This record gives sequence, structure tokens and C-alpha cells, in this order.
Amino acid sequence: MKISYKWLTDYIDIDISVDELAQKITDSGVEVEETIQRLPQFNNIVLGKVESVEKHPDADKLSVCMVSDGSASFQVICGAPNVKADQHVAFAKIGTHFPNGLKIKKAKIRGIESHGMICSKEELGLEDKSQGIWELDSDMLLGTDINDVLEAYNDTVFDLFITSNRPDCLSHIGIAREIAAFTAKKVNYPEINIKESSSRVEDLVKIDIEYPQGCPRYAARVIQNVKIGPSPQWLSQKLEAIGLRSINNVVDVTNFVLNELGQPLHAFDYDLVEDHHIIVKKSQPKQKFTTLDSKERILPDDTVMICDGKKAVAIGGVMGGLNSEVNDKTTNILLESAYFNYVNIIQTTRKLGLITDASNRFDKGTDPENVIYALDRAAQLICELAGGEIAQGIVDAYPQKIKPVVIPFRPQQVNRILGTDLSESKIMQTLSGLDLVDAKGGIAVPSYRVDLRKEIDLVEEVARLINLDEIPTSTFEPVYLDQKENQDETLFEYTRNLLIDIGLQEVFTNSMISTASAEAIDKDNVKILNPISEDLATMRPSLLQGLLAVILHNKNRNNHDLKLFEMGRVFISKGSEKLPEQPLNLALALCGKRDRQFWGGDANDVDYYDLKGMVEMLLEGIHVSAQKFSIKKQRIYESYYSIELSIDGSKVGHCGKLDDALLKKFDIKTDVFFAEFNFDILKKFILLDKKYNTIGKYPYIEKDLALLLNTDISSLEVIEFIKSKGGKLLRNVNVFDVYADKKIESSQKSIAFRLRFQSDERTLQDDEVDQIFRKIIKKCQENFKASLREG
Amino acid sequence: MQRIKEIKDSFDSDLKKISNENELEELRIKYLGRKGLVTNAFTFIKDVSAEQRPLFGAELNKCKKAIENQFTSAKEKFTAGVEGEKIDITLPGRKSFVGKKHPLLQVADEIKHIFTSFGFAIEDGPEIETDYYNFEALNIPKTHPARAMQDTLYITEDIVLRTHTSPVQIRVMEERKPPIRIIAPGRVYRRDTPDATHSPFFHQVEGLVVGEDVTFADLKGVIQAFAHRMFGKDAKVRFRPSFFPFTEPSAEYDVWFNEGWMEISGCGMVHPNVFEAVGIDPEKYSGYAFGMGIDRVAMLKYNVKDIRLFFENDIRFLKQF
Repeated sequence: MKISYKWLTDYIDIDISVDELAQKITDSGVEVEETIQRLPQFNNIVLGKVESVEKHPDADKLSVCMVSDGSASFQVICGAPNVKADQHVAFAKIGTHFPNGLKIKKAKIRGIESHGMICSKEELGLEDKSQGIWELDSDMLLGTDINDVLEAYNDTVFDLFITSNRPDCLSHIGIAREIAAFTAKKVNYPEINIKESSSRVEDLVKIDIEYPQGCPRYAARVIQNVKIGPSPQWLSQKLEAIGLRSINNVVDVTNFVLNELGQPLHAFDYDLVEDHHIIVKKSQPKQKFTTLDSKERILPDDTVMICDGKKAVAIGGVMGGLNSEVNDKTTNILLESAYFNYVNIIQTTRKLGLITDASNRFDKGTDPENVIYALDRAAQLICELAGGEIAQGIVDAYPQKIKPVVIPFRPQQVNRILGTDLSESKIMQTLSGLDLVDAKGGIAVPSYRVDLRKEIDLVEEVARLINLDEIPTSTFEPVYLDQKENQDETLFEYTRNLLIDIGLQEVFTNSMISTASAEAIDKDNVKILNPISEDLATMRPSLLQGLLAVILHNKNRNNHDLKLFEMGRVFISKGSEKLPEQPLNLALALCGKRDRQFWGGDANDVDYYDLKGMVEMLLEGIHVSAQKFSIKKQRIYESYYSIELSIDGSKVGHCGKLDDALLKKFDIKTDVFFAEFNFDILKKFILLDKKYNTIGKYPYIEKDLALLLNTDISSLEVIEFIKSKGGKLLRNVNVFDVYADKKIESSQKSIAFRLRFQSDERTLQDDEVDQIFRKIIKKCQENFKASLREG
Repeated sequence: MQRIKEIKDSFDSDLKKISNENELEELRIKYLGRKGLVTNAFTFIKDVSAEQRPLFGAELNKCKKAIENQFTSAKEKFTAGVEGEKIDITLPGRKSFVGKKHPLLQVADEIKHIFTSFGFAIEDGPEIETDYYNFEALNIPKTHPARAMQDTLYITEDIVLRTHTSPVQIRVMEERKPPIRIIAPGRVYRRDTPDATHSPFFHQVEGLVVGEDVTFADLKGVIQAFAHRMFGKDAKVRFRPSFFPFTEPSAEYDVWFNEGWMEISGCGMVHPNVFEAVGIDPEKYSGYAFGMGIDRVAMLKYNVKDIRLFFENDIRFLKQF
């Protein structure tokens, strides 16, 4: 919302600097986002006088002028048709730099030298489009810096951010009221002075409200015999200062009053309103209407429609219709000033996607008691600027008067909530600055303050007006509260630290992905109803897509060696009625080299065992031991490398080598090893409550066993078998070598196991270990049809 | 005294004969071992006259030190010599990859640690929320003008991507009686087109404190204490009135950092309507809530001008933190 400083001074005396004013407005709750000087500062432009004008000998449209700056004369070529001798002009000398980049240099135009330029209003930023040079009416000395001459045209404009609870601030009067509250001044409201004609408005127009819930008040005046024409300078200048374009005197008045008083108005061409009858109705289902921007719109239910005897003429509170718009031929005007229910306006504008200056006020709540004042103000101005006669009286349809609000108020609540120690009189005095005064039953609220309905609202008024800096700052003292400990957070941090420790880089990716990349894996996803774009249309069902995007991004920048992890929520649809399931997942992705480049040898590419090692280290770190890896075909993995991880029988996640065809869809041409776990399940197995186990103090004995096995037999099977036969002295079984070469039949492989025996009570004897070891060998030979491999 | 000199001389001549590390070790035992010549010499101290004793002791210690030093440098010479190879210690070592936490999460962790030390518990809530938790219960009914403030992404008419972490306030207050002191960090979503300063998803930390006699002055106190911990003792905090439907009075707060005011987020006193929605008596209890933009803090802290850098996950960017 743009507010002109000069315009403000029409309603309030301001005796503080512009900067101080901006700060105080911000401190009271309306943020000044920007303070803009309307005109730029110019260099080398002075007030000049045209001494003589002669035709250019070689160009019809150019003149050769002599321009004086009071001390010297300059020859200047000018192309404007309106240049004449004895004019006062803005003369840009050589060296002037205009904000648009234009630089004035000595030039030769069709053979004649030019030493400067005579400026138009457009070049000085005073209007959008100029037809010729600007002829100044100035009694200042020739040679005066143009910035001083322009001071009268300059202005400071505040760009304000007005929160949605304060529609009363969406006008110059509204901001003046705020300034009045913190400067202890009075607002000077414009005086109404209307001369009415003898025609009675009741004879000219009839108003019926058939939908009082949507439109509680509708008032109108009729102005006859107006002459549509351009607006005077004072009016167009005010509108231009706040970024509005001047259109014609009648439209400009309605825009002016909107920005002055905050009341939107609409001017109909009286003669286009059939039967001279206004009926406020609820829209018909699927009703169509063409607004004055020439767009046909289908109206939402419960839209407030302004109709005449035959047809709809406006969407109430939003936009007028093309069929009744004021035009150059208009002579009689029906001026509308109304109050609409903000709920209807919100519903209509949201569904239409149409926001106008009017709806921007009505959808937050305007002042129902401002309707007549604004109508009178606009009628008076139209009459002054466009001639015409104002018909006698006002048609004011207001079937049920809106009751004034009185809020029960306990001043001590201010201190209770703010932690202040304000006296009751100070509190009441602060409120009275906002015209909030003691009344029967509490504090009477002015009709424009639609945001004040409860006691707490008054507490806030006191807080912002005494200035938040005046509220004391307590010394913060941490205290112990007996609150439930959130162990999830501990586990989350513990696990992330562990992953960092094993050399993985944490990434953090978007949870909105393209539907295509989501559907590359599964069709049933959580989709966004109103996505920002196709690329952000589906909630990720997995961390896979995000990690692949990171890999692609880095590969495209020649970073191929990546070891990544991410922890984040994924989303699984539970039907449209319920919230989706939103587990916290943990994913790992590896590609490229295993280690960084080293001069002592080439690093190998990562493979499945790097990934599995990472997963095992993670499980070891969180003290999970009952894990099981089993082959389970999953669509994202190559079939031989598609592994499911379960712990104690619960499925926790999966890992493997990503399928080439899948990677191709993501434009990745190298191997990627990937693992993803449901952390909400995994975390249940994390052991944080640790107890010390005695470290064996007796020496252990190790025995090695190399078995020739059928390739179908997995190492895990053998280890589990050995463990089951080894008794309690067998503490650990490890694979230390796997070997398959030409000497061994192709259906066989050799796996070497190292068995560790140890007792907590005594030093083991070789004999007893040998005995167990021989038994294990024998059982293995029987069970796996394995033979012992000779070292 | 003479004895000491003899020992030293004999060590010097023995040392010259040494040709490898083993011989050096034998020499060490001969002189410095438990029954070595130097160690043994200390027993002669009793034969020295009382007035000579301190001098003798000092001289013997000096001798012992000298022998030890010569021995150490001889040993270094042998170690290098025996291996027979010279290494270039400036060659780079054998390295694996170093992982780091994501910069945004480093900032989130820092914020969490500060509030944990202040006695706040950490809470969590779903990112896809019902309209009720995201809006209704927070005093933002369907027709509230403030709904236009937040461009919401919808899953269905009644299910939304949460636009703020404030729904966690409701979930916590539904479950628990005051006193409450929590923060809730997490991801939130808005229908913003991505550019240098906007991301359609970003990260907030929500704070909520409810109890008897909790005031705006307390809110100012906790924000001030946080700013000191996060940004240093000189950090100044400024409060400006603002509007949020779920707090009243509401304020925005800025922190003076790197020679400028940076806008962190909003805060305020819990609105009585919010207390009523969760069945807490606003006449008995009061409370404050505050938010904090993690991304914003991280951008200022690391001097990152484009928020998208955090989510591109370029390894050259991530490695810098």
C-alpha cells in the first residue's frame, strides 16, 4: 500500500522528520517497507529561458534555439513543436546524466552544433508520456538548480505492509489516525459541503437488497449532467504519486476517495442501469458475467450480484460490469457506496482468482458507518470537477443496523500478559489516543476497527502504542521442567553422527518431486492438488529420487565420487480421507571411487560390499546384532543385488545395486549402490541403554577352516551352522578368504573361516579345542557335502 | 669426581664403536640400565664428604643428561639409517572421504542445542497436516483474511502441506497440561516459485512456553538469551508489532548481526482462542510462541545469497561447512 507524505499532510500536522515518521509508523505496527523519493536528483539541469527560436536550415521539424542560463547563452537544437521564445524551461546542460542512462553531450545535428537539451515532463519523471517540452511557470532566477524548482512536485511515498487484520489502515485517513495516536494530534477529516438540486433521488433510483447477509448496506446518489473529462493536476498528481494512472475525472474521484477514506465506490452510467432500479441478489448457479476488463466469468455460489431491472451490472465489492461502465458519453451517474460481508467477498475472489483495489478492502472488512460520508465526499468532488447537479438526498438501504461493539475490559490484564507495571490511567489514556473510550460495559470500539473484538485485542493496542521497547525484558532463567524426554531426537542425532563418522556426506533434498520420477518406481503416491509446477507435483515416496538428483547434479559438474546419506520424511498414501503415513527414512547412496586418489596406487570403484560394509558399520554403531540380509527382488535393484534387511523378523529396509534401466531414466550412466531404511522401525532396535559385559581375560585360540562348497551355499548359512555346532566356547566365526579359480570346479568355491574359541573361566587347552574343531569339520562335511581344501 | 669423568669418557669411546641399533641398546643397558654404570655411580654418593655431596650429585646428573641426549640422537641416526630409505614426508597421505553434516542441519542442531540447554524439550509433528491443525485450531478459520497471507499447497481440500511449524503447538497442548516448554523444528511448505530468496519448502523452529504468569517480558527475555548464544554477546534484538492470528500481541523480531538488522521471524503471546481450542484455561494460564527461520539464519551466518544452494547439494558447496 502506497501512502504519499504530502497527501497525508492534508489530514494531519506532522512536525517530525520523514525518517522519524517512518520509524514510528513501523514501531506502531504498520511496517514501512520502503521510503521512496518520487523524483530523482538531477545534475546539471537548471532553469533556463529560450531567447530565440529559428528553423533548422536542413530539417523541417527541428529548431535552433538560444537558451540562457542567466549568465551565458547556449545554442540548442530542439525537436519539440511547442518551443517558443521567452519560455522558461528546464535546460539540461552538457554533462547531465538522466536516470534512464541518457547522457547529454556536445553534438552536431544535421550540421549544426547543439550544447544541451530542453526537457519534457516525461524526461523529468513528472508524467508517463509528454507531447512536447515543459513550459515552466516559475518566478525563480534563471540558473536555479532544477531540483529546487521541482521541490514543489516532489513527494515522499511510503510503501507500507499492512497486515490483514488492519483494513482500516488501507487509506490516507487510516494512516493519519495511526500517526495521530502516537503523536497526540487530531485528524482533520475533510469537510462535506454539498449543494443538492431540486430533483429527488427517490424519484430517480430505487434500491432493494434481496441478499442482506451478503450486502448489509447499499447507498447511492445520483449526479446529473456531468461532463467526463481529464482530471485537474492536483488530483492526477496525488494518484500518480501512489502509482495510479489518471483516467478521467469521475473514475479518478472514486479512486481518490478509496485511497483517502478507504471506502471503495463504484460509478455506474445511470442511463445504462435499466429501470433505474438496483437489486442486490445472490448469484444464480453457474451464472456468467462480463466484468469491465472484458472477461466473461462464471460466478461462484453466494456471490453478491448488483443487478438492475433486467440484468446483472456488477460483482458486488469486486468489479463492475462492462455493460454499465462510465464512458466518454456518460452524462448521468449513479454512485454506489456499500458495505459487503467480507466472507462473501473472500469466497468470490478466491474462486475467481480476481483481486481488485475494492475487494482488497471489502475482503477484510470495511467500516459500515463510513458508507455515507464517502458517498458525500465523492459526490461533492465529482460535482466540483465534472460539473453536474447532485440530486437531493441519498437512497440508503440498510435493513439492519450493525451494532457498535463494546468490549468488557480489565486494565490489569495488560500487565498480566505483557509483564508491565502500567497504571490504569496510563492504559486508558493510551487507548483513548485510538478513540477507544470508556463506555457502558467496557470500551467502545470505533466502527472502522473491525479487528478489535476481545479484551486481548485491547491489550495488543496498548502494547504497540507504548512501544514494545518499553516492555521490560525478563532475565531468562533455564528451569528444569518434568517433561517427557523425546528420545527420537537423541536417536536421530546419534545416527547422523555415526553416518558422518563412517565418511558419508549428509545431503538435504526437496520433498516435492516430479510425478514422472515418483512414478518411475510406484504409481500410488501422494499428489499435490495445486502444485507450483510439474516438477514439484508429488510428495516423495522415497529418498531415492532426491539422492539421484544430487548424484546427477554433481556428475554434471565432474564430481563422480559420492558417498551420501539423507534422513527425511517420505509420504505414503493412506487414501484421500486420512493423513498419509510419513515415516522418517534413512538412505545411503554410493558411486565412483572407494577412496580418494592416492599416489601409491589407483583407487577401485565402489561395489556392493562397500555399501554392505557401510550398512554393517551403521548397525554395529547402533548396536544392532540380530540383522538378516536376504535376497528379495525389488524393482529398483539389479536382481542379483537386491537385498532386504530385517531385524528380529521386522522388515527395516533394503539395499543393493540400482537397476541400469532405472538409472537411465535419471540420466545416470554409472553404477549406484543404494540403501534405504525406515528409521521409525530401525530406531526401535537401537540400543542406547548399554550395560558392561566382562572382557574375557583368558587367551583365545583361533582355528582356520577352508571349505570347498557348492556355489549355491551362502557364507551366512555356513557361519550359522558352525555357530550352532560350536558350543559355548566358540565365540566368533569370520570369513577371511573367498577363492574361486580354475583349479576348483566351476560349481564350487572355497571359503575360509576363522573360528575363535575362548572361555571366561580358564585358559583353554589345545586338545579340547581340537576336539570341538574336528567335530565341526565333520558336521560341515556331512551337512554341506563340503570337502576340506588343502592349504 | 674423577669417577664421573671416567664414565663419561668411556661412554664417548664406546659410542664411537657402535654400528647398529642392537649394539646401541646394549650400550644403553651398560650405562643407563638398572645396574648400569651411571645408575651405579649414584651409590658412591655416600662415600663423598658432606660438603662435596651436592656438587657431586649435580655433576653426576649433568653427566647422565649428556649421555641420555647423545644416546637419543644416536638412536635417531640409526633408526633412519637402519631402514635404509628416505621418505618424502611432504607427499599427501592416504585418505578416504570425509563426511559433513549438511550446513542447514548444522544450524538447526545449533539452535536445538541452545534451546535444549534452556530446558526446552524437542517435539515433532507431521509435515502433511489436516486443515484443522494447520489453520482452524490456530484461530485461522476458512474465511479468515489471513488465509490469503499464506499460499498453501493442498493434498485434498482438508489436507495441506503444513505452512508453518505451529500445528505442533496444538498437538503438544492437546496431549499435555502446562507447564510446557518445547521447540519443534521442521520443514514447512508454501506455494512460492523458487528464486534466490524463496524456496517452496523451508525450515522453521517453533517455540512454545505455557504456564502461569508467562508474559511478553519473558518472551523478550528468551529471545534475547537465544540471540546472545547464537550470535554473540553483542547481539541486539528489536521487536516490531505485527499480526499472526494465533498470537496476540504479535511481533516480528530482528537481530543485529553483521552490521545490519536481520529479520528472524515472528512471535507473540498465545491467543486465548488457541488455548480454548485445546482446552487450556486462558484465565489461569498464559504463554508465548515464537518462530525462527533456519534457512534465513543459515544464509546470514554463512553469507549465502541464494537459498537454492542449500538444496542443490553441490559437493563443492557442502564441503565448505
